[in-house]
Amino acid sequence: MATAEFGSHNWGMVVDVDKCIGCNACVIACQAENNIPLNSQDRVERARTISWIRVERYWEGDFPDAKARFIPIMCQHCENAPCEPVCPVYATYHNSEGMNVQVYNRCVGTRYCANGCPYIVRFFNYWEPVWPESLRNHLNPDVTVRSRGIMEKCSFCVHRIRRESRSARSAGTEIADGAVQTACSSACPTSALNFGNFNDPDSKVSKMKEDKRHYTLLDQFGTDPNVIYLAKIDADKKVGSGAAASHD
Amino acid sequence: MLVPVLAIGGLGVVAVMGVVAAFVITGWIGQPIPVLGFEQTFDQPIDFPHTVHASLKQLDHVPADGQAMEGLGLDCTFCHRTVTTQANAGVPPVGFCATCHQVIGADGNPQLDILRDAADIIGDDGPEPVNWQRVHRLPDHVRFVHEPHIRYLTANPSEVKNTTDGVATGPSGVCSTCHGNVAAMEQVEQVEPLKMGQCVDCHRDNGAPTDCVACHH
Ligand code: HEC
Ligand code: HEC
Ligand code: HEC
Ligand code: HEC
Ligand code: HEC
Repeated sequence: MATAEFGSHNWGMVVDVDKCIGCNACVIACQAENNIPLNSQDRVERARTISWIRVERYWEGDFPDAKARFIPIMCQHCENAPCEPVCPVYATYHNSEGMNVQVYNRCVGTRYCANGCPYIVRFFNYWEPVWPESLRNHLNPDVTVRSRGIMEKCSFCVHRIRRESRSARSAGTEIADGAVQTACSSACPTSALNFGNFNDPDSKVSKMKEDKRHYTLLDQFGTDPNVIYLAKIDADKKVGSGAAASHD
Repeated sequence: MLVPVLAIGGLGVVAVMGVVAAFVITGWIGQPIPVLGFEQTFDQPIDFPHTVHASLKQLDHVPADGQAMEGLGLDCTFCHRTVTTQANAGVPPVGFCATCHQVIGADGNPQLDILRDAADIIGDDGPEPVNWQRVHRLPDHVRFVHEPHIRYLTANPSEVKNTTDGVATGPSGVCSTCHGNVAAMEQVEQVEPLKMGQCVDCHRDNGAPTDCVACHH
């Protein structure tokens, strides 16, 4: 059950793709929350941008019946993560709270993990991060600024989890369902992104993932992600689109 | 001819190796080399004596204008106000010192005049902050939070290490575990290594998280 003890949670996310309107608010919120360097034009051109969460847009159907579809993608915090065993220095590992963790100071920058990841959600710092003077004081003091040569990725806003855990212990209570919100989920205007504890059967995310629309990305690799997607409901189709069809 | 040169050369090599060894050993222990002047103290803009304010004992320190005195025995949390609730302990603003020092301490006391100038009580260049030098500083990749430590140690006094000359009850009694006897320091210095080993040892013994992400994120 949900207590504030370390290791008693299994954090995860349920993404209701049907609610995603592709507004990119999550991307901006994440960028600001986690001290992610600015993606200048130069970096975009070299395809070396950093963006812990991205909204992928794709088209379904042929013109004129084409439909725009959006799907937010972040680190899937896989139970069988392909990135973990390839790290020669144990800088990335699965912790007891169901998260795939990146220890920046342990990282030596081999980039094996990024090559191993099928979701392309790991990013390498090719440059020392710089911010314009006007943004220097906007950095989040709870999040380490990664230096050049370090791999980084979505942390499930672990600093927010630790903060809620501390205040729960200080108040002698448990972490209430919904008390921990990641930057992206709190910014999402349509509640497409939902964060919570899968170990608690009564939590919002545990109930949501029972929905028959649920599927995981690249299921065939057996990575067993902690991010569950709920498929798009299409009025014109009998079954939901995407991999959810295979669950019916 | 050859023999003395070799002897001197050999001596040089030994000397160089000795210096290297000294660096390696002190580096390993994690203590800078005091001979070279790397001490864990800093010259502060004001020689603020913790003894006078926090100790409960008779002091060696005699204020520039006063007589030998007993420490005031203020609670550490009186000045480090956020230590029981937040990550940072915080150092009080000048205005806070001025509540006492507007009247306490004779006019013309050089150290207190720096303070009064900063608080805009004397001089006419407006109020300005005091640029205190940070003594304890963990690397940027470590997140340290005071709140859980003060809470846990206050509730479990048996885990408290070192003694203090100041108030020994409540939150103020636990600071010595990591900061030593600050109440007896004219100038604050770091006495505990505060390296990862010390953190993790205590965490392991007290059921606190030892997962890397608790401290590194
Ligand atoms: C009258 C206010 C006052 C009281 C009471 C006080 N302090 Fe301080 N403390 C300061 C100021 C001002 C500084 C910054 C100047 C310095 O480092 O000497 C400071 C600095 C420190 C530092 C060093 C911070 C750093 O830069 O790393 C520590 C540790 C500390 N205090 C601990 C204590 C403890 C423990 C007590 C109780 C025994 C205490 N203080 C009581 C005002 C106070
Ligand atoms: C509770 C009241 C009080 C507060 C608050 C206080 N002090 Fe003091 N301070 C004293 C007293 C009393 C003395 C001893 C003065 C004397 O006898 O001249 C003293 C002495 C000093 C001295 C030593 C003067 C000397 O000649 O040795 C300095 C420096 C000083 N204080 C700085 C500060 C600073 C900086 C702060 C704010 C962080 C501060 N004080 C806050 C009461 C206070
Ligand atoms: C578990 C060990 C521990 C205990 C107990 C502890 N501290 Fe600290 N303190 C630290 C460490 C580590 C730092 C350096 C933090 C950093 O660099 O992020 C620090 C920094 C500080 C600083 C300077 C930076 C800041 O946070 O403002 C002050 C002042 C301070 N401590 C005061 C106190 C006081 C007062 C107490 C007792 C109420 C106390 N500390 C108890 C470990 C401790
Ligand atoms: C004297 C023992 C002791 C020392 C030394 C100590 N800690 Fe702790 N720390 C604890 C305890 C006990 C807790 C858990 C308190 C609670 O019950 O919430 C804790 C909690 C924490 C937390 C919060 C963990 C969370 O759940 O998010 C952090 C971060 C932390 N310590 C960092 C450090 C660092 C960094 C150091 C070394 C500079 C350090 N600690 C040294 C005893 C210690
Ligand atoms: C209780 C807090 C705590 C925990 C848990 C912890 N560390 Fe640390 N770690 C520290 C502190 C404090 C330092 C900084 C020591 C110093 O001043 O050099 C540090 C430093 C390091 C460094 C050295 C970085 C450098 O540049 O020298 C590495 C590597 C590291 N930690 C890896 C880990 C790994 C891997 C884990 C998990 C197995 C872990 N740490 C767990 C507190 C912690």
